[in-house]
Amino acid sequence: MISLNHYMFLSAILFCIGVFGVLTRRNAIGILISIELILNAANINLVAFQRYLGTPDGLGQIFALFVVAIAAAGSVVGLVLVIAIYRNGKNIFVDNFNLMKW
Amino acid sequence: MAQFIPLFPFLAFVINIFFGKRLNQASAWVSIVASGMAMLVSIQTFFEQQAHQNGSIVLGEWLSLYGVPLKFGVTVDALSVMMLLVVTIVATLIKIYSVGYMHGDPRYSRYFAYISLFTASMLGLVLADNFILLYIFWEGVGLCSYLLIAFWFERPAAAKAGLKAFITTRIGDTGFLIGIFLLLSLTHSLRFSDLAHVNVAGNETFFMVAALLIFFGAVGKSAQFPLHVWLPDAMEGPTAISALIHAATMVAAGVYLVARTFPLFLANPAALEFVGIIGGISALMAASIATVNNDIKRVLAYSTVSQLGLMMLGLGVGGYAAGTFHLMTHAFFKALLFLCAGSVIHAVHSQDIRTMGGLFAKMKITGMTFIIGALALAGVPPLAGFWSKDEILLSAYHGHQGLFMVAVLTSFLTAFYMARLIFLVLFGKPRSDISHAHESPVSMTFPLIVLSVFAIFVGLIGSPLAGHAFQAFILPHEGAHEVEINSMIMWLSVLIALTGIVLAFLVYMKGLKLPAFGGLYRLLLNKYYVDEIYQEIFVKPALAVCRGAFGFDFRFIDGIVNGTASCVQRLSAIFRPLQTGLVQNYLLFQVVGIIIFILILGGLCFRF
Amino acid sequence: MNELFFYFIALSACGFAFGAVTSRNIFHCAVWLAMALLSVAGIYLMLDALFLGVIQVLVYIGGIITLFIFAIKLTARIDDRSIRQTNEQVLISAIAVSILLIFLMLGIKLSSWAVFAQDHIFSLKQIGKSLLTTYVLPFEFISLILLAAMVGAIVIGKVKK
Repeated sequence: MISLNHYMFLSAILFCIGVFGVLTRRNAIGILISIELILNAANINLVAFQRYLGTPDGLGQIFALFVVAIAAAGSVVGLVLVIAIYRNGKNIFVDNFNLMKW
Repeated sequence: MAQFIPLFPFLAFVINIFFGKRLNQASAWVSIVASGMAMLVSIQTFFEQQAHQNGSIVLGEWLSLYGVPLKFGVTVDALSVMMLLVVTIVATLIKIYSVGYMHGDPRYSRYFAYISLFTASMLGLVLADNFILLYIFWEGVGLCSYLLIAFWFERPAAAKAGLKAFITTRIGDTGFLIGIFLLLSLTHSLRFSDLAHVNVAGNETFFMVAALLIFFGAVGKSAQFPLHVWLPDAMEGPTAISALIHAATMVAAGVYLVARTFPLFLANPAALEFVGIIGGISALMAASIATVNNDIKRVLAYSTVSQLGLMMLGLGVGGYAAGTFHLMTHAFFKALLFLCAGSVIHAVHSQDIRTMGGLFAKMKITGMTFIIGALALAGVPPLAGFWSKDEILLSAYHGHQGLFMVAVLTSFLTAFYMARLIFLVLFGKPRSDISHAHESPVSMTFPLIVLSVFAIFVGLIGSPLAGHAFQAFILPHEGAHEVEINSMIMWLSVLIALTGIVLAFLVYMKGLKLPAFGGLYRLLLNKYYVDEIYQEIFVKPALAVCRGAFGFDFRFIDGIVNGTASCVQRLSAIFRPLQTGLVQNYLLFQVVGIIIFILILGGLCFRF
Repeated sequence: MNELFFYFIALSACGFAFGAVTSRNIFHCAVWLAMALLSVAGIYLMLDALFLGVIQVLVYIGGIITLFIFAIKLTARIDDRSIRQTNEQVLISAIAVSILLIFLMLGIKLSSWAVFAQDHIFSLKQIGKSLLTTYVLPFEFISLILLAAMVGAIVIGKVKK
């Protein structure tokens, strides 16, 4: 029988892969992709908790739904920003954008 | 009603300061109407006060000092009503005069704003019923004096004169404030009405110090020796200001203060004596300087110092009614004299009397009123100055022979220098081209005529002819005022006045050569070197101390501050590379931080 | 049987995810991501969340991945393999993330959960009901946020003349 821990391990692994991507990708779109992975890892946890711990009113699944919606909104805005930056600087490598200092 | 009197000019100030540029010429009329309203209410207050004897109003409670609630309100008694009338009448006339005098000035509305603020402060000062309220308005008139002396601040002399006036009076004000606090700690009350039944027994020294400190404030404000040096320089301001502030009202505030706190001085005879001596010194010294000065306004300024000294002398010898009476008459004829001088300056664009002469033919109205004012000041009967000066002489005559002699000598000098001024300015041959000189506009001559009427008749109310009505008014509780007519002093007074005038006539019209007083003349021309002495004793050491302090501040304090700053800068240079500006760097720090946090948390969990 | 299926899906999800964050070609990344998301949809199915699995496929793979591909096509030079796709902190990031993973697993291992004995299956009907009754307020907010994102995206993306 697959236990709750299995799902949580899977979620942890996906989360760490996502964080690794966020930390290392130069390409801004790559970072957004990694963020989607992180959100999915969280979603797996939510659904698994719902399934095993039986939260009332389907809280876990409903919130997973909301997370999907937020992720969609977030990636839309993120991608538009990437395109706007691309228009200004002709590339989207985040280590070229180091204006945020001093 | 009395508490609303200062509000009218204050309202005019607010209107003029905010909408002055838009009002332009109309700002003068705002100001004039406001002081006219104040004058009407003052007259109404006068009749009310006559009917009820006492119209003092307590407006409310203010502070609690020493557990004693400090009430504030307005005093309406004979003294303040007299001052109210004098201030509002003179202020209104001078504002009308200013319409012509200040015509075309770029800061026309600003002038009327300041002068309205001054009127409001002066009226507040007169009405204040406790020391703190009086001190606030005292500073208010000082501020306005500064603003108006330095009104033409483009001229360095005017800016400096404003500063000098402000700083010099501040020295006196500091003493005054200390005196107030001392008095508060002694009597636990700051209301003037409580001064009447103050008990000095056991604390004579402290009370005397308090009285002297309060008098010191009056010395600064009334330009008495040794703080008289600012008043002649204050003549850099517009002449109308000299007439209002530095002749009729503000400088009289010092005399008013002594009169207001008179019970305190009565309780300390030594302090009262001191008031008289300082008044005597100021009177004689300033009068002697006035005899040689060649600036028409400065002669009048020294004359003001001298006359204020005479008032102080009158108060100092116990002549409360004499001092206040002279205060009132002096306000009218000295304002008149200044306004006449302003009219003359307006016509010839010069202040040096050596370049004038023969102006009477050109300026009939100014000339006539000028002569009336001068005769009033010189003490020729039946003009105002004669009666009030006579009162002072009479007060001094009993028991103060020295001060009496000083007063007589001052009267002689006064008559001499006023006659000299008249002869040099109005008569004789013109000593420069005065063909362009002409009579001033009607807005300037009208106040002259009104004031000269006052200068002629205002003295009569305190004369034996009117049964000493003024004395009965100002001292209502003395019962039947002892009407003393000393004809000997009266004749003496007339005699010395006429002697002075005749001497001046002989010297300046007939070319009589006085025996050479070379050294004395130079001493007088240099005003007894008081300014120079102050320069050496106070200004130079103060400047030296300031330079030292500046050096200390520049090298030591700034060194510490800059050193701290550069230390921080160097320290931060070590950590600055951490701030890469790369988002992913920051995120990495965050992850490492989370790991460290988990480590600490885990360590704590396993420990417990 | 079930376990075997789980391990298969879990392994493929991790593999695709790893590919998505490490591939040099950003277009490949998007494709790997799509595969990973599909695997996650499988996980949802295993957790009896049928509706969520369908949504995952529809919204993510049908919508967001398409968006990503559009963005990639609009910006990056996908053919140029000479351009570095990772920054200098790969090694330290890998170490940090590994430590983080170990900690997370330890945490999961050490914590105990009050697991519901019986399987609690939540039907589509119940989801709909719950969404429009108990959670109607967050639901409305989500719609507002989506609207705001849409407007914002148009405003930011608009070419200024």
